[in-house]
Amino acid sequence: MIEIRDISKSYDDGASKALSGISMRIDDGRVFGLIGTNGAGKSTLMRIMSGVIRPDSGNVWYDRRQFFRVSGRTGRVSGEDTALKTDICFLPDSWNFPLNATPAECAHRFQLFYQNFNEERFRKMMQTVGLDLSRPVRTFSRGMRKETSMLLGLCAGTRYLFCDEIFDGLDPVVRQAMKSLVAEEMVDRNFTPVIASHNLRELEDFCDHVGLLYKGGVLLSEELENMKLSIHKVQFVLRDKGREDELCRNLDVLQCRKRGSVMEILARGSADDIMQTVRSEDPVFAEILPVTLEEAFIGETEVNGYDFNSLFS
Amino acid sequence: MAFVDYRDPRPVYEQIVDYYEKLILTGAMQPDDRIPSVRQTAAEWSINPNTIQKAFSILEERGYIYAVPGRGNFVAETGDLLKQRIERFLEDEEKNIREAKAFGVKKSQMEDILNRVFGSDEA
Repeated sequence: MIEIRDISKSYDDGASKALSGISMRIDDGRVFGLIGTNGAGKSTLMRIMSGVIRPDSGNVWYDRRQFFRVSGRTGRVSGEDTALKTDICFLPDSWNFPLNATPAECAHRFQLFYQNFNEERFRKMMQTVGLDLSRPVRTFSRGMRKETSMLLGLCAGTRYLFCDEIFDGLDPVVRQAMKSLVAEEMVDRNFTPVIASHNLRELEDFCDHVGLLYKGGVLLSEELENMKLSIHKVQFVLRDKGREDELCRNLDVLQCRKRGSVMEILARGSADDIMQTVRSEDPVFAEILPVTLEEAFIGETEVNGYDFNSLFS
Repeated sequence: MAFVDYRDPRPVYEQIVDYYEKLILTGAMQPDDRIPSVRQTAAEWSINPNTIQKAFSILEERGYIYAVPGRGNFVAETGDLLKQRIERFLEDEEKNIREAKAFGVKKSQMEDILNRVFGSDEA
């Protein structure tokens, strides 16, 4: 389990605040989706979690083992627990190795850092997806580089794999193939993928838990299922239009829209409770509809005063 | 064997549960037939294994499958299950018919459908 507590980070001597007191928990063996726009802080957070950069304050705990060493006197981070790093693999969003390197050479590099790196398996996997181990990565498309990164990460055999927008922009066939590989890995051993993305739809059906970052803060962090069970969309038409406001007041409404005579609301609560409340107002028509992850997020963020469209522009 | 439709508003685990319930109740899968493993299913359909495990737990709870540690999941004796499933179906149908009635559907229209579907079968 990873516990992130009160992590703050600024760049440019405090001028640019990337993360403001972020706290989150990532459970083992679950797929964690870290959602947010560029600039929300996902990459910074992942880099801190993997020890690539150090936080200004706060700390990360891996199974209750403190990751960063904090100098007692100054309170500043002075180093990391390098032993823990062998269990973490971070895949950045853009290719990090020299472009003239071949995947085979990159595998050698990985072997230096990760003793459990399985080179044989990497070779086999690259062959299966049809990528040439001896071609310089310079000749690979962006998608192919991401695939290669992903395979390197999986073969590193680490407990945690942090994927920074690796799934974004992959073509559907490759994306599904990568998901399958991650799934198999999760079954075979204690493996926890943390996937950062700005595409909710692509991750929606794969994540167990999602954390939404916005401007360096956590807007919400929840089990996907709980989110879907606790937010519902209802369309209804009341016999007595005058009762509409009253009904909205009796529900925990995140969003309210009227289309002609049909009211559409996004409300928090169980489906049963919500429908009971709506039915008590004697509707001509009332139907509960499924909510996509995107709609749930829109509801939650707009209610907090954020303009959803600006989050994902 | 395409039970996961991402456009289907139902959660993935529910789709998997329904899929196997159908296979088992219709007899397409027989008692003691082996259910594909979580790993196989996850890999084939690119689904989170936790989701599949959840579906299998539900199926086990409902008595559709049983687990043999180290060997996998197998179809259970269905006996009572079909009866339960039919009951559930009839409950849902009653809701639908009430809704239809609210729209103005007549009893004779429903009877026409019943006659077409059941023909001259008795009961």
